[in-house]
Amino acid sequence: MSAAADAIAPATAPVLDARDLTKRFQGLVSVNAVSFTLAKSEILGLIGPNGAGKTTLINMISGALAPSAGELWFEGRRIDGVPAYQRAHLGIGRTFQVMKPFPRLTVLENVAVGALFGFHGGIRSMKEAREAARQCVEFTGLARRIDQSADALGGPDRKRLELAKALAMRPRLLLLDEVMAGLTPVEVDEVVDVIAKIRDSGVTIIVIEHVIKAIRRLSDRILVLHHGEKIAEGDPATVLGDQRVIEAYLGTRRQ
Amino acid sequence: MRPWLTLAIIAVAAVLLALLPLTGDAVWIQFGINALLLATCAQAWNILGGFTGYVSFGNSVFYGLGTYGTAAAMTQLGWLFPVGLALGAGAAMVLALLLGIPILRLRGPYFAIATLGLSAAMAAVVSNIDAVGANIGLILPLTRADGMFYELALALLLACTLTVAWLARSRFGSGLVAIREDEDAAASMGVDTTRYKVIALVLSALFTAIAGGIHAYWITFINPASAFDPTLNVQMVIFAVFGGPGTVLGPVVGAFILSAIYEVLASWISTAAAFLFGLVIVLAVIFTPRGLADIFGGVRRHGAAYLLQNIRENRL
Repeated sequence: MSAAADAIAPATAPVLDARDLTKRFQGLVSVNAVSFTLAKSEILGLIGPNGAGKTTLINMISGALAPSAGELWFEGRRIDGVPAYQRAHLGIGRTFQVMKPFPRLTVLENVAVGALFGFHGGIRSMKEAREAARQCVEFTGLARRIDQSADALGGPDRKRLELAKALAMRPRLLLLDEVMAGLTPVEVDEVVDVIAKIRDSGVTIIVIEHVIKAIRRLSDRILVLHHGEKIAEGDPATVLGDQRVIEAYLGTRRQ
Repeated sequence: MRPWLTLAIIAVAAVLLALLPLTGDAVWIQFGINALLLATCAQAWNILGGFTGYVSFGNSVFYGLGTYGTAAAMTQLGWLFPVGLALGAGAAMVLALLLGIPILRLRGPYFAIATLGLSAAMAAVVSNIDAVGANIGLILPLTRADGMFYELALALLLACTLTVAWLARSRFGSGLVAIREDEDAAASMGVDTTRYKVIALVLSALFTAIAGGIHAYWITFINPASAFDPTLNVQMVIFAVFGGPGTVLGPVVGAFILSAIYEVLASWISTAAAFLFGLVIVLAVIFTPRGLADIFGGVRRHGAAYLLQNIRENRL
């Protein structure tokens, strides 16, 4: 980072500042005036029942969807009008819940796209980008699949590929949309370790997950969405014990 | 295929093809000019259709603009042939730039339909411009220099193929392929999808238009129906898809083989040639849906399920 960029983004500015973010689809309000901030190297767990608006929120942060109202600030600059590819250049990387591998490319070629185009517009040299991609492939445990085409991968490996592709972008903010769904408990533990290591390297992370054990282990803070509204936010123990959160997930207890 | 092998094949083929006019056989040279120009068109189509995944039926418009740009410059303005080529190519590139931005927002079949509409409209537009001969067309000065036209067409095909070979190994080409494979994922990973698609279309327009310009000067007579012929575009698609879309050599090999088959059929049994040619293509598509690249790539799969899978993947 240059000195000028540091001046725009002082160390005290939050990495991400969402202010009353709202998304309406026709009449349906998918996300309703959700506000939160993220500090550097923080992991925010984003939970809520199906249809709560978690992925819509992620889509607005990554630029896949434009918010209907509200503001989004990233490292001290407003980004809600910035197109998705420029947000990638700023340092926002994501995975897709409905996985989006490049099916006819090999694992290495898939991941190299992230290295070639990610943060700061990526690495110009093909050779260096492939080397960076190779490291991400190894880091996410896909080394033995490196030359296979993506459409030959099974479910868990596709999840790892999503993670490797996002990681190769060298993101400063990483949005993980259900990267653990469908994994075995052992595989979940592996991915949790990988995510913790990513955070330790200085990356800020939002994790959408239904695997509560993983969320509890990873999150510094948890934000709960229900019908598009933020119904709880705080440290994991408090939020996961909150009566409204339990009701949102499990329904009201019969008296 | 390894990059050095691809380049070696291109170099050897270029040298051998360059020597063909030494035989002095007029029939071979004339067949060669046609085949080289068609191969260039298929290769140019490949930049957009094969690498970027956008099936264009509007490339015949770029061909027509190259044809008319060259012809109008030479007959109406008295300019030299190279200046005419530049004018035609420039016109095609400007059109690609202006139309690319709105049209490339459309995906899959919608893009194909929009480009098809464009190609139908252009012939009608040009038919109504008196300055370029309206319906009647233009007659260019006759130059008996088939050898020169042959070498020009070969040089153009070489330039186009080297461009595609560079694409296959470059950051820019990786961006195009990412768009083809999944455009939303490409954008979220930092690929400026709009700019990349428009550049691909402009590159495609450049080579197609120059091919049209060379053809115009060689054939000496052009009219709107022949210059903006939609069947030429269908040929580009068939040649590229037969040879292997998204590969460096496939579209060229596909164009040579299918042009040769068509010539043989046309001289052997002229009335049924088109029918038999269609049959050859149907069989080819069933047995090697991803083109000849399948056979050379060692993939031994065929059958209806594989055909359908490929239709989906190629978004045809």
